Amino acid sequence: MADNSPVTVAAGARAAAKDKPDKPRPKRQQAPLRVRMLRHAWLYVLLVPGVVYFAIFKYAPMYGVTIAFQDYLPFLGFSGSPWVGLKHFETLFTSPDFFRILRNTLLLALLNVIFVFPAPIVVALLLNEIRLSILKRAIQSSIYIPHFLSWTIVAALTYLLFALDVGPITQLMNSLFGARFNFLADPDWFRPLIILQTLWKSTGWGTIIYLAALAGVNPNLYEAARIDGANRWQQMRHITLPAIQSTIVIMAILMSGNLLDTGFEQIYLMTNALNRSVAEVFDTYVYFLGITQGAYSYSTAVGLFKAVVGIILIFGANWLARRFKQNGLF
Amino acid sequence: MTPLTRRLTAGAACAAVAAVGLTACGDDEPADLDTISMMVPLLGSQAPAADSELQQAVEEMIGKELDLTWVPNSDYNDRMTVTLASDDLPHVMVVQGKVPAFVQSAQAGAFWDLTDKLADYPNLTAEDDQILLNSSINGDNYGVFRLRDPMRTAVIIRQDWLDNLGLELPETTDDLYDIARAFTEDDPNDSGDDDTYGVVIPQWPGGYATASPYDVIETWFGAPNGWGEQGGQLVPGFDTPEFLAANQFVKQMIDEGLINSDFATMDSGTWDQPFFNGQGGIIIDVSSRAGVIMNLFKDQDPDNYGDYVAMTGNLAGPDGVLRSYPTIGYNGFLAISRQSVQTEEELDEVLSVLDAMSSQEAQILLNNGIEGRNFEVQDGFAVPIEGGDSDVEVLRNDVTSFAQLGTQSNGWLAYDVLPEGGPERELWDHRQEVHESDLATAVHNPAQPLVSETYVTRGAQLDLIIADARIQYLAGQIDEDGLAAEIERWYAEGGQQVVDEMNELYAQLD
Repeated sequence: MADNSPVTVAAGARAAAKDKPDKPRPKRQQAPLRVRMLRHAWLYVLLVPGVVYFAIFKYAPMYGVTIAFQDYLPFLGFSGSPWVGLKHFETLFTSPDFFRILRNTLLLALLNVIFVFPAPIVVALLLNEIRLSILKRAIQSSIYIPHFLSWTIVAALTYLLFALDVGPITQLMNSLFGARFNFLADPDWFRPLIILQTLWKSTGWGTIIYLAALAGVNPNLYEAARIDGANRWQQMRHITLPAIQSTIVIMAILMSGNLLDTGFEQIYLMTNALNRSVAEVFDTYVYFLGITQGAYSYSTAVGLFKAVVGIILIFGANWLARRFKQNGLF
Repeated sequence: MTPLTRRLTAGAACAAVAAVGLTACGDDEPADLDTISMMVPLLGSQAPAADSELQQAVEEMIGKELDLTWVPNSDYNDRMTVTLASDDLPHVMVVQGKVPAFVQSAQAGAFWDLTDKLADYPNLTAEDDQILLNSSINGDNYGVFRLRDPMRTAVIIRQDWLDNLGLELPETTDDLYDIARAFTEDDPNDSGDDDTYGVVIPQWPGGYATASPYDVIETWFGAPNGWGEQGGQLVPGFDTPEFLAANQFVKQMIDEGLINSDFATMDSGTWDQPFFNGQGGIIIDVSSRAGVIMNLFKDQDPDNYGDYVAMTGNLAGPDGVLRSYPTIGYNGFLAISRQSVQTEEELDEVLSVLDAMSSQEAQILLNNGIEGRNFEVQDGFAVPIEGGDSDVEVLRNDVTSFAQLGTQSNGWLAYDVLPEGGPERELWDHRQEVHESDLATAVHNPAQPLVSETYVTRGAQLDLIIADARIQYLAGQIDEDGLAAEIERWYAEGGQQVVDEMNELYAQLD
């Protein structure tokens, strides 16, 4: 038994997953494009609605991005507003607000990567180990619930629970540590509260996709591993994790594109005068400038910058994934 | 532009706007002034129906159809910014003050300059030229202002607590401090526990100089209201020794526990609750809140509800001088779009409609309703008619909405509502008296009509620097040096430019 090391078990699992080795395809003379298009004409017809949808609702509005390079005034319109080139980007990068906001946004993004991203994986793995299916289903359903609450309700609950002197959690913490906690106003507590809220609200829902991936694992593999003497920890490490690895990578790449989306509503609702220095992020800044102040051009420039960073991140993550021999998104 | 590219551009603009979450796009139509379209904030929960009894009555009076777009008040400014970016503006739009998007659009020519036109219409001629000037942008009026009480500041105090402790209403800020201390330490509710405090202050959403309790106390201490004049020059109100003195005073009260410790985070929607529940005993706000709170007590204790709420006006500062914090006298204005109202003739037609809507009959219709249906007149007051069928119910609800359409810039000609019972009548009379006498000592903001270019683009961020620094100082996050440093930051990040521009405009105004 001792010679059946987990390594061989894992190798077996991998071989089972890849029973069709890649062979170079024989080269074939390709028909001209026109002929191929005619042959598959109906496929192209089916493609049309999708193309039209993207053209109208995704690409046409991008024309509006031009106002980031103008001093846009609605009354003068796209064609009448003066062209100012990169002025708004210069203003942004030289603004004292910029580094504060970038830092706040990146820190929240980093905390999201460290705490929020792995949470559903861990919970999914734990749920996967529960044998009693009725218990498993009960837990699953109950941890989905917070996903359906709006941020307004989450924020209101937080204000109730963490209120200075009277909130139940504040009272508990005060008596445990003998200090006077001011969770809602103390800048040091802002990020932990935000991460706690996000964990509470999104973890359960996030497990769905991992549980689906776990359901697809061939039970024979576990059986084989048990016969080979692998304990549950070893089974998880060498069968379960490799099986959902590609799902994790895809989720990570998808998440990287939204990394700078820190959740406008959530942060907006939790901001006050005392924690604004750590709370202001790109999303709230764009709202504040664009919608409440009517600085159309400047706020578009800020949003565009954020979008460009998002694209760089998603390509970067994809490149990294392929670099490490994982299936990328594209 | 060819019609096609124009249409495409408009489509792209619509899509861009839709991405922000709102849609307000339509086709260009020739101006049809049989129907006047208006965008109006909705304060209640139920928007009046287009065929409502009240709307029909108003339409009959002005001889035009109305096409009203009701937008919830809480979203109004956001929605207005987005509507300005669309190509489908209503003829007339309520603008809630000189918000940047409006100022920029108006100066670019999106709205009619009415400065030389209003005097031609008897009901649009301002009763008070100061308010007309205040509502202007550097002397140019882009709208008909909506008149409001010029004085509203009040100190609201638990009457029963004063009686328990044998105290009188405050007259000075020192009295306020003494009462707050007594309310905190001397067990005003006879509970035997230390369960009360003095002043209730909630989280304040606005920036500097937005009628917060802090702004009011600063004025009592002699700081300018927003901007002050020193030797012919305008200076920002927070860069004065009086500003610091006032906030030292507030900070002392906070440090001694005379103000609720969650003043930076308490939900402003629950401001009345600590007062009503007997935790805090003083509120510094507008006088109408006294009536609202009295109503709360009325539900709880219908026999003695008059014994709980006392109210007084502004307080004299430490130097014994009474300075009152006024309102700006108006609440936004009705602006006329030049895109939907294109010629002078059309403008005249729209202004005539607004003129008709400010006549005494129309003011009564908009603010009181239909006489004999939902109210009756008694001693010059409007008395609501209780009960009635569901149509009357609807009418009562619609009146609160339609009041938003009225300007009353020619003066208030409608009826005041008769206070319900004895205590309410007493409170109402007292309010009128206090407002009247406080008005004589009002500290006005000399920079009210001025809008500087830098302020339009950076003002809201700059205001926030000061408002946040003030709260941080009061909470003990920064000390006086830190507060001074934040004021320096205000100057460095564009404030100095604002000061220079404001002084230039101020010199031109005279």
